[in-house]
Amino acid sequence: MDFATVLVAPAALSAISAALAILISLTDKVVNNYGEVAIDINGGSRGLKVNGGANMLVTLAESGIFVPSACGGRGSCGECKVKVNSDVGPHLPTEIPYLTNEQLEENVRLSCQVKLKGDVEIEIPEYLFKIEQYEGVVERIRDLTHDIKEVYFRLTDGELDFKAGQYGQIEVPPYGKVKEPTQRAYSMSSVPSDTNHVEFLVRLVPGGIVTTYVHEHLQEGKKMKVIAPFGDFYVRDTEAQMICVAGGSGMAPFKSIFYDFVEHGTMDKRDIWYFFGARTKKDLFYLDELNELQEKYERFHFIPALSEPEESDNWDGATGLITEVLDEYLRNTISTETEKEGYLCGSPGMLDACMAVMRERDMAEEKIYFDKFA
Amino acid sequence: MNPPDISLIPLLFASIFTSNILLANFLGMCSFFSISKDMTSSNGLGMAVTFVLFITSGMNWVVYHMVLVPLGLEYLRYIIFIIVIASIVQITEMVIDRVSPKLYITLGIFLPLITVNCAILGVSLFLEIREYTFTQSMVYGLGSGLGWWLAIMLLSAIRKKVEKGPVPAPLKGPGITAITIGFMAMAFIGFGGMLPVQ
Amino acid sequence: MKMTPEFQKAQANMQPGVITSDGFLGDETRPIVEIITADEERMAHLGIEFEDAAARMRELLDKGRKGLGEPITVDGNWVVKVDEARGFLASPFEDGIFRKVNAVVRKKQAPDEQLLVSELSLHLFEKYHFCQGKGSPFRLEPEKLKRVLDL
Repeated sequence: MDFATVLVAPAALSAISAALAILISLTDKVVNNYGEVAIDINGGSRGLKVNGGANMLVTLAESGIFVPSACGGRGSCGECKVKVNSDVGPHLPTEIPYLTNEQLEENVRLSCQVKLKGDVEIEIPEYLFKIEQYEGVVERIRDLTHDIKEVYFRLTDGELDFKAGQYGQIEVPPYGKVKEPTQRAYSMSSVPSDTNHVEFLVRLVPGGIVTTYVHEHLQEGKKMKVIAPFGDFYVRDTEAQMICVAGGSGMAPFKSIFYDFVEHGTMDKRDIWYFFGARTKKDLFYLDELNELQEKYERFHFIPALSEPEESDNWDGATGLITEVLDEYLRNTISTETEKEGYLCGSPGMLDACMAVMRERDMAEEKIYFDKFA
Repeated sequence: MNPPDISLIPLLFASIFTSNILLANFLGMCSFFSISKDMTSSNGLGMAVTFVLFITSGMNWVVYHMVLVPLGLEYLRYIIFIIVIASIVQITEMVIDRVSPKLYITLGIFLPLITVNCAILGVSLFLEIREYTFTQSMVYGLGSGLGWWLAIMLLSAIRKKVEKGPVPAPLKGPGITAITIGFMAMAFIGFGGMLPVQ
Repeated sequence: MKMTPEFQKAQANMQPGVITSDGFLGDETRPIVEIITADEERMAHLGIEFEDAAARMRELLDKGRKGLGEPITVDGNWVVKVDEARGFLASPFEDGIFRKVNAVVRKKQAPDEQLLVSELSLHLFEKYHFCQGKGSPFRLEPEKLKRVLDL
């Protein structure tokens, strides 16, 4: 048997395979090379020149514009909605379950599913431009109640600028059975002046990916990504009375707001009524701090309400559902002569119920501001 | 080489109708069954298969006659044909993803499965067995593709209608589809012998 | 029932850590179509219709909302506590997103037997007859449904 004859076959096979591989590689370069594309944002007020080919969410993030996303671009949370004014093709089957009929008509898209193949025109809310990504190192973590933890991060790579009342997203790295990074939103409870830190109140949700991580795995020194600020819940600069209602982790934005007032010396500028609802005394927290504020500032009133106080609580404060207590105060105690603004933070159910009470007590709907846990 | 004496136009029509690769040779069945549920995807897949068949029949002819035969490596034809087919399907996939992501997602797994669609390998082997010339191969490839496309469009149209009819429960889905294909094949037998393909 | 690509994708999404921390399958490794078929048989055996059970749970969920996160007595017979967390959960079948509404339902006289119902678990139960795997905290066990919901 001739050695050369045996080698001819594998040689021919390899040569043909190599030639085909080169052909595929060339096609890839041509087909997947979208060149530079221009992204026109908000009718020309901003523009970006980027390399095409990737999806819009990732491309915008790389240019420092963070469209909200809880699933990191996997197409399973529906949060990364962006209005697209140019033609990027029909809606993909992966987008449709997350969009209402109205959104489909307006060509609202999931930015993680839209590939950038050419120039596009998009519309995104202005507040998104202030959002940046930070690396947070846990400086302190402590229990406030049996299911709420206070987490204080030091930001190592930048200064955070936000309005008291806004929220941020924290990203949990893969852990245990969770294989992909996951993001969730929490209101920021630290004061804006503390630009190198940010604090969140995290309540344990059964089965929650991020809250379970925070409650079972997070320790001092561990790092998490923080993306902030988001949201349009903040105090309007007027002299109207503030009627604030919160429950559970809804305390967070108010902690930020009230201590921000203290720093700026504006606690005496207007009347503030802060209603905090819980079930029993062990569900309350920051009692000492809030009582201290009440003693120091004549115009700040703190009204905790327990719906089912236990015997051992020896509770002599307000009892009943927070909506009942709110209603009672609006009728009997709070002045009806000065204008009132409502500030609510909690679940949609609680918000709707409180808003109904406020409307009944003649508070204008436009003057009721809320951070819907949505 | 001893090519059959058939001119190109009759060969084209023969490969579409009288020797329809699906209904006469029963090659290329699996995606035929599954994708024919939806007409738009059937159309898209038909286009993709036609494109792949056209290109691969040409390329495989070239590789067979220019490389394998001179080197005496005809016995490598199975593996070489498959490698060529797989590469062309890869390229087709990339192009479809670029041009129409919606079609890409709708076809899903069936786009890469064109690689193992026996109709494709079948056509390449036929052109070698029947000793077609280069142009005959390309025409036969194109015709087979068009025939496959025609058959899948016909089937999806019939399925759409049959779906609404009183099909007994055990026959719903694959059962009645198989029976329909049988009837279609019988109908195409009527073309038999009209135009020779080899 | 065959595991269509739709169900296979759902099975992958139901793994722990993809949508929720514990996932929807509990300790089970069976394909979800088997879990569904088995539960459908049990429900038929117990004489309960999925629509009726779903309607009862939905009613308790809606009325329980009035408690604003605290337990409230509904229709004199049940105690329901409805909580809501911020954000949305995607359905494993990729057919929509749901608010994170969780309800703890128990009969007034039987405080030890609690049923955990969420908007998402209710959707999966109603649309796909999926009760979740044994071991999942949100499993809607047919026998338990009969006892707690008085069906």
